[in-house]
Amino acid sequence: MTKSPRSLARAAGLHKSGRRHLGERAIAALLFLAASVSIVTTLAVIVALSAETVAFFADPAVTFREFFTAREWTPLFPATQRVFGISPLIIGTLMVTSVALVVGLPLGLGSAIYLSEFASARTRRTVMPILEVLAGIPTVVLGYFALFFVTPILRDVVPGLNLFNPLSAGLVMGFMILPTISSISTDSMQAVPRSLREAGYGLGASRYEVVLKVVVPAALSGIVASFILAASRAIGETMIVTLAAGQKPTFTFDLRETIATMTSFIVQAATGDQPAGSIASRALYAVGATLFVMTLILNVVSQQVVRRFGERYE
Amino acid sequence: MSASPRQPSDAAARAGFGTPEERARLKRRKRIGRAFQALTAIPVVLALALIVTLFVDVITDTVSWQVVEPEESGVTWSFAEGARLGGTWEHLVRLELEARGEEPATVLDDPEERRKFRLRNRVELLWWVDGRPFRWAVTNSRDDTVDDVGLFRGLRERHEILAGLEDGQQLRLNPWFDAAFFRKNASRTPMMAGLQNALIGTLWVIGLVILIALPIGVGTAVYLEEYAADNRLTRFIEVNIRNLAGVPSIVYGILGLYAFVRLMNLGPTVLAAALTLALLILPVVVIASREAIKAVPSTLRQASYGLGATKWQTVSRIVLPNAVAGIVTGVILAVARAIGETAPLLLVGAAAFIPRAPDGPLSTYTVIPIQIYSWVAENDREFAHVASAGILALLIVLILLYVAAFWMRRRFERSW
Repeated sequence: MTKSPRSLARAAGLHKSGRRHLGERAIAALLFLAASVSIVTTLAVIVALSAETVAFFADPAVTFREFFTAREWTPLFPATQRVFGISPLIIGTLMVTSVALVVGLPLGLGSAIYLSEFASARTRRTVMPILEVLAGIPTVVLGYFALFFVTPILRDVVPGLNLFNPLSAGLVMGFMILPTISSISTDSMQAVPRSLREAGYGLGASRYEVVLKVVVPAALSGIVASFILAASRAIGETMIVTLAAGQKPTFTFDLRETIATMTSFIVQAATGDQPAGSIASRALYAVGATLFVMTLILNVVSQQVVRRFGERYE
Repeated sequence: MSASPRQPSDAAARAGFGTPEERARLKRRKRIGRAFQALTAIPVVLALALIVTLFVDVITDTVSWQVVEPEESGVTWSFAEGARLGGTWEHLVRLELEARGEEPATVLDDPEERRKFRLRNRVELLWWVDGRPFRWAVTNSRDDTVDDVGLFRGLRERHEILAGLEDGQQLRLNPWFDAAFFRKNASRTPMMAGLQNALIGTLWVIGLVILIALPIGVGTAVYLEEYAADNRLTRFIEVNIRNLAGVPSIVYGILGLYAFVRLMNLGPTVLAAALTLALLILPVVVIASREAIKAVPSTLRQASYGLGATKWQTVSRIVLPNAVAGIVTGVILAVARAIGETAPLLLVGAAAFIPRAPDGPLSTYTVIPIQIYSWVAENDREFAHVASAGILALLIVLILLYVAAFWMRRRFERSW
């Protein structure tokens, strides 16, 4: 399409002066410049994270071994009491994420099956945008809801529950990731061709048997991809955990304890006025780099699942 | 489904085909099917219930019953006594100063005194004071809040609370989400806290975000759809944009802190925030714009070329005008996301307390979600009401944007 009009014009003798060409070229260059902003952004993220992370590990107070094996994370303490072991933050993040997935996966998959297989087209058209609202609610609002509404109710039920805890944050986060799972899974189940379902019915299967034994397996790649994407969202979520789960890095697997996640530490370090170049400020970048790598791996895996295992029905 | 005559198994069961064991098995399978269908409907109901609960919780939390010991006169006025066309504030301040036994002119006619009075006092329409509905009051930052009770508990227990009031105390039903809320700023006193500077800050930041993200985003989309050759570089850009869409928002905050605040030395300014948020929503704008451009049929382009138009003439006069509805819808949704973002702005230096409203790209700023965060983080019952008032304001803005996007999609949707 790029060549034909121009060569046609040339053949017809309509080829215009060079000035018009120059303008066209300048515009093409400008558009390419716009497109390259995304590449520059990626490079800048990598440079920012790696430069300060390298500086962090170059500091004599920090060792790789300590970073990965120590069970304490106290970069904001006075110099003599600092320990740099990221495990409390990773465990905190995984605890909140696990709760979110335990809540979000069944709810998301269930609603996707309902919307794709049982609901009428009209119900689907009304309910799906409303579910999307859940994904559109600012997370600071969900944090408020977790802290002031969910936590007080949970504290009546769960004995020994701290005011800040991963349970309440994870519960609300489960609803936050529900639309991600639900919409991607619905799409991939809707893409399963009618002929497969009909074949199932033809063999005498009932409706739920077709759903469970034909549709869900056929759409599995999309469903798994949505799970991974949801996990990545949960790991990177900041405001809900900062407000409702606390900012106290603790090496614990107890869902009732106050904890800190990677993201909530980043907020804590950033809002505490750490001077640029200090070890505390560099710790922020090191944690950010860890977070970035974890989410990037999950996102890439999620895309690969669709590409490798996705069945194409045409 | 169970009553559908089209299912052969139903007909078989009614006709009594098969052995009794087979019929029992069929019955069981149908029971499981019904149970399964009901089970999958539960998450949808739960999610909808959560949305409703959240909205009801936020709205009811913007109203509370308070036992207050007023510092000054403590006089309240009925709605008719207080409301004056165009000058309610002046009128009530005058009444209050007279009630305090001060000369109104010394405050009202001196700009400096006026400013000081505004900083410490707030003119409010309370919904209920000691049994009388809709009373005006001039509240003072030193008023002592003795108790704060939620809307429903207060409704049940108001008679007991009224009976237990001590001398000089009032029971007020206070709406936190009111006009005065939008004329006040961050404060250490909940009664005095408001959203004015944050609202102005959000307008500044979002205005700049649109100015930055719109041309770059649409430019990228046009390049990828209309100009780019199908080569490795193009595929790399595409994959890259998809991956950027999955990067957690706080990582953009780290980028903004490193590149804009420190490296470019912009400091904690409106511009640094706008650049950060623009990069954050860029993938969304690009993806939405590409979809819209893709939807323009190639026959239109061919016709344009056939008339001798150049590539840019075709793009600017044929493709973009036909894709504008989709692009605008995408931008509205992206902006809705940017307005609610908190985490990245905490890193690029949005402050909870700023001395005055931002007046340019290089002034310090705060935005609505940052104010909400700081109020929630106070973890104080009265500040929770202020936070919920801020949340209500934010949600109303977002709902308006979603409705606008929905309307755009409906109104300008075309099928070719």
